Amino acid sequence: MSHSPQPDRVKYAFILPAFLLVLTITLFPLIYALVVSFQTIRIVPPIPPRFVGFDNYTEILGSARFWGSIQVTAVIVFISVALQYVLGFALALTLHHNVPGASLYRVSFLLPMFLAPVSVALIARMLFHPVLGPVNEFFTLFGLENLPFLTSPSFAIATLITVEVWQWTPFVVLLMLAGLQGLPSEVFEAARVDNISTWRRFRDLTFPMLLPLSVAVVFIRLIEGFKIIDTVFVLTGGGPGTSTETLTLFAYNEGFKKFNIGMTSALSFLFLIVVILFGTLYLAAAQRMIRRYQ
Amino acid sequence: MDRTTFRRLGLGLALVWLVFCLFPLWWVLVTAFKPPAAVSGGATYIPFVDFQPTLQAFLDAFAGVRGDFAGPIFSSIFVSLVSTALSVFLGAMAAYALVRFEFRIRLLAGLAFALLSIGGFAVLNQLAGFGVPQALGLVLVTALPVSVWLNGRNLPGPILGNNDVTFWFVSQRMFPPIVSAFALFLLYAEMNKVGVRLLDSFPGLVAAYTAFGLPFAVWLMRDFFSNVPVEVEEAAMVDNIGRMRIFFQIVLPMSKPGLVATSMIVLAFIWNEFLFALLLTSSKWQTLPILMAGQNSSRGDEWWAISVAALISIIPMIAVAIFLGRMMRSGFLAGSIK
Repeated sequence: MSHSPQPDRVKYAFILPAFLLVLTITLFPLIYALVVSFQTIRIVPPIPPRFVGFDNYTEILGSARFWGSIQVTAVIVFISVALQYVLGFALALTLHHNVPGASLYRVSFLLPMFLAPVSVALIARMLFHPVLGPVNEFFTLFGLENLPFLTSPSFAIATLITVEVWQWTPFVVLLMLAGLQGLPSEVFEAARVDNISTWRRFRDLTFPMLLPLSVAVVFIRLIEGFKIIDTVFVLTGGGPGTSTETLTLFAYNEGFKKFNIGMTSALSFLFLIVVILFGTLYLAAAQRMIRRYQ
Repeated sequence: MDRTTFRRLGLGLALVWLVFCLFPLWWVLVTAFKPPAAVSGGATYIPFVDFQPTLQAFLDAFAGVRGDFAGPIFSSIFVSLVSTALSVFLGAMAAYALVRFEFRIRLLAGLAFALLSIGGFAVLNQLAGFGVPQALGLVLVTALPVSVWLNGRNLPGPILGNNDVTFWFVSQRMFPPIVSAFALFLLYAEMNKVGVRLLDSFPGLVAAYTAFGLPFAVWLMRDFFSNVPVEVEEAAMVDNIGRMRIFFQIVLPMSKPGLVATSMIVLAFIWNEFLFALLLTSSKWQTLPILMAGQNSSRGDEWWAISVAALISIIPMIAVAIFLGRMMRSGFLAGSIK
């Protein structure tokens, strides 16, 4: 970074509008929500606010639905991000080595991540229709007719993972490709001259050199994945039962079907704590792994 | 020898992925032209061969036969364009400050600000009986000057620099959005009670989305500005031209490609956003994604209608993706991962 330090007051004029906006829109409402999370408030039927201490928090921590939603979210996120990373990295390698028609690939590989998850889920609903959909037709070829893609818990989770992989692998491709293009080509020339096999070149050069980027890409995808609601909202609505209910969807249902505001606020703060804890643990583990490799 | 094996494997994977990637898009495109019979009889794929295409679904949608399409389309376009412009503009200003100036913020002053705000709000709202918006406003205008004053004192403890400020902006994005969306919903509901209509309103939605887009804007623009040569600005400063004028008349025009690319990305995020719209709108300012989510229950198996709706939300983003794909080829975006 190249900044010439100056004692200029004008810098505050530059940064203040953005700062104040984030403060008033993103952070200050949190203060109110924090206070609310220690109370019982209902809008429908309205009951006056009452201070209950940590009751909301302990009630959530004791509810099976909360842990269920954590489990569902974790299963979807971890499996789909693992698949996204492996597929995305492989595709980026392919594109980097200039397969024929690379420019066609480039645009079509980018497409999915720019589409609204709600629309993607609507399309997926048609595709995975157990009777009329093309996926059913495809499986019928193998003698598996009318599979319950959206109505059996494990199938529904698998479908959600497929949709997530379809939509977000492009993100991994995009960043890994940029990373590959930034690698020093001399090292690879030298390795080729020394007749080192393609696999070993990848294992000993490409992969370790891109490890920091990989860590970052996987981190972004995990954090973003934890937020999943729109796809689930349209595709399964959390069903059957609550077997595909993710954390965000659970919070939404608490807040807007039961109108239990105190509880929802507490839930969203628990969610925040989960994400922060997870992020810290992940980054610590990743740091250790990077150090071991270099 | 193994080189060609890997090449073939890669090529095979790329081809399979291409089909996997494009098939759903092909599907939604052809389904929009299907007559009902082509849907209820099982999967059909190729127009004119499998079925006779019809424009009926499009005509129905634009005639408003089933529900209002024009309203959500209008509010989506209006809200996302205005908030994208605002957040890229504000984000660019903040990013410029972060690249060209040095910020030093004492951790203690920051903590004091957080404590004062939370404690102050709890006291004002719970004990002194102030309304929620008034209490928050009061806390903001007292805690901010106090912590600015504290920052000038010689306090012990670590000092945060520009990277920490950038991280502070970007970290908003790491929050689960339900946390801030729900909190914002509560605040807007309180504002409605005192007569300021923010729920289901244009200003409320634009404010939320501008803040939502800011992390991207700051992050991406910071990168572009750090690649703009500083010499031009230094020359202008020698001529005693003000910092604001330098920014608006020299720096912004010079980083036009960056501004365009950033706007595209922010626009895509705002256009597709679901959760904030779900919580903050109810009827008048519903955006496209909310309309889309409703299609499911309201239309059931009318796939041609669903496909038309999906196409309407998808087509602008296809244009954005193609445009960004072009920019990517010219080496742009490579910088933002550093």
